[in-house]
Amino acid sequence: MNVVDLTLTAFANTLRSKLRTALTVLAIVIGAFTLALTTGLGAGINQYVDDMVAGFGEEDQIYVMPGGDMEAGQAATSGPQEYDPDAGGSSEQMWGQQMLSEEDIETIESIDGITNVDPIVFVTADYLETPDGDQYALNELGLPADAGAMELAAGERPDRDAMEITVPETWLAAFDDSTEAYEDVDPNSVLGETVEIGISNMLGEQSTLEAEIVGVSEQAISGIGGAPMPSQALNQELYDIQTSGLEVEQEEAYIQAVADVENLAENEAEIKAALQEEGLAGMTLEDLLGVIQGIIDTVTWVLSGFALIALLAASFGIVNTLLMSVQERTREIGLMKALGMSSGKVFGLFSMEAVVIGVMGSIIGAGAGVIVGLVGNAWLTGGPLSNVAGLVLYAVDPLGLLGICALIIVIAFLAGTLPASRAAKKDPIEALRYE
Amino acid sequence: MSSPVLETENLVKVYGRGPARFDALKGLTFEIHQGESVAIVGKSGSGKSTLMHLLALLDAPSSGVVALEGRPVTALKPKEVSRLRNETFGFVFQQFFLNPNQTVLENVTLPLKIAGVSKSERNQRGMDALEQLEMADKATNKATDLSGGQKQRVCIARALINNPSVLFADEPTGNLDSATSETVEEILFGLHRERGITLVVVTHDDDLAAKCQRRLIMQDGMIVAEETGAAPASAAAPQVPTAAPQPRRRGLLPFGRRKGGRA
Ligand SMILES: Nc1ncnc2c1ncn2[C@@H]1O[C@H](COP(=O)(O)OP(=O)(O)OP(=O)(O)O)[C@@H](O)[C@H]1O
Ligand SMILES: [Mg+2]
Repeated sequence: MNVVDLTLTAFANTLRSKLRTALTVLAIVIGAFTLALTTGLGAGINQYVDDMVAGFGEEDQIYVMPGGDMEAGQAATSGPQEYDPDAGGSSEQMWGQQMLSEEDIETIESIDGITNVDPIVFVTADYLETPDGDQYALNELGLPADAGAMELAAGERPDRDAMEITVPETWLAAFDDSTEAYEDVDPNSVLGETVEIGISNMLGEQSTLEAEIVGVSEQAISGIGGAPMPSQALNQELYDIQTSGLEVEQEEAYIQAVADVENLAENEAEIKAALQEEGLAGMTLEDLLGVIQGIIDTVTWVLSGFALIALLAASFGIVNTLLMSVQERTREIGLMKALGMSSGKVFGLFSMEAVVIGVMGSIIGAGAGVIVGLVGNAWLTGGPLSNVAGLVLYAVDPLGLLGICALIIVIAFLAGTLPASRAAKKDPIEALRYE
Repeated sequence: MSSPVLETENLVKVYGRGPARFDALKGLTFEIHQGESVAIVGKSGSGKSTLMHLLALLDAPSSGVVALEGRPVTALKPKEVSRLRNETFGFVFQQFFLNPNQTVLENVTLPLKIAGVSKSERNQRGMDALEQLEMADKATNKATDLSGGQKQRVCIARALINNPSVLFADEPTGNLDSATSETVEEILFGLHRERGITLVVVTHDDDLAAKCQRRLIMQDGMIVAEETGAAPASAAAPQVPTAAPQPRRRGLLPFGRRKGGRA
């Protein structure tokens, strides 16, 4: 029997008991559908993260945290650690977390290749006053270090050393009395406006700072761009006001610092090693996003694991269906062998039937998964999640889909080997006598 | 006469074991020569079908040897046995064994499909074979929609489709009326005469048996007698050809044999 006939015969055979085949295929469809959906989801979100990285890939920045090895802190859970006065170098402790001191910042600055270091400080301002004199509560301010990741609707990012700020597009209505809906306001109309920011010091005495609006941000899925973002200089001044007022000079402590690096691509490894030597940890944005992607990948794998279990169950369906089929067709198998079909070809015919079932199931399932994924993506990103700029929840990953189909076909083939070898072993005269 | 195409030596077939043990064949030794026509006759249950299955390599003997062209078949690889069944042997089963869900044409061309012959050539040769057995008009019918005699003719067409050099036929005329029997006999003996096909026929039909060059008479798993030449009972009759089947001889040429691939 040639390959074409073998395939056509196998296909025709699967159509003989349509309901049974349909149910077996359905089980595979469920597995294939789930796999196509979960991997597409993983691919989509990873693509979104990649897009974010690509968006400010030029930013040569490295995030510095205390603690060269993160495990040291976690080892505490396994029992009390002996106190070592020299441990952690000059790092400070705050709320049980290691902090960077002013000395650390200077150490970082002195490392070759690092041009500038900005400690990350959290500022809690009171209000933002528009040119009209209206005041709006400032629950949070964006971190200047995140500026690179910010998506802009208009204007540009605040200049490091100027007293500049960006506002999110959802704030636009505050600058235009004629409308309540921010969508109606041209983002360019607020550029150049001056706002006042009110902030209290440690004693609760309020003072204000002026800043110029240079950009309008869109909120990204990470939250960046969802709040007004001051420039580094403005942020630092706000911080200075916030921490002033007490007689005693406080030791500065920072959770993180952002270091500007010359030619990050080339110097990354060296700088990280230098930081490690100082008891500090350096992470590039890609490293940080890599952590996010790692989490996404893990979730994807867990979901795919469930899909694989579904497929495993479906493969028993194939075994079952084909065993029944072999039993029913004992005579036919005997006849084919009596007429000179080799055991190998009989095996081939039945495993081909399993493969046909696998092909049908994987194509229907993966196809449905892609359609549901794309439609769901369009619906969610166009509807409930439309305010998240550039969000991709589902991406078609052709290689992944091919891999899924191949995997399912291999599983189907393996499931078919048991019934197929049963069929191949049938003795022609024994089988022909079967009534 | 030429060398033996098939020989057996002390062929024994035992079914079951213990108290259910049944000796179906009890040590048969004989030869069948190239181009010979042999009839196996005997009472029901005497072991004729069992013997045919062993000769056609469809079953293995309990002991003893079947040799094909001087080679014991136990020395053959399974693939070779499959090829012999497909290309060298044709078999007409006593119980037909047609695939009920397939058409007559598909049933007839199954050996060619197994051999890997292309569909167009298969159908061409299948139609030729069906035409010779006057079954061409039923080609697209389901095999189940046929009468017993029609099924038998389909089986014969299937056995002949791959131009075998040895044809085994288990009761080829068992279900046929005398006129159709005549046709079938004409075809079988025509092939035998014109293409030197070796014929091994099991039959209860004395007329058919008489037309064979040799008759092996079986009883209780043994060959009890052997007759050669024209049978005494019907010696006078068969030599006079009847008017009807005469012209059909022209149709007994090979079924457009072209060499196809094999399975
Ligand atoms: N699978 C089997 N198990 C046990 N006994 C069997 C089996 N097959 C055949 N027999 C027995 O072997 C004997 C010979 O059977 P076989 O089919 O060869 O007879 P036969 O000569 O072809 O008869 P008929 O003319 O009725 O077709 C019978 O007695 C039968 O009962
Ligand atoms: Mg019989």
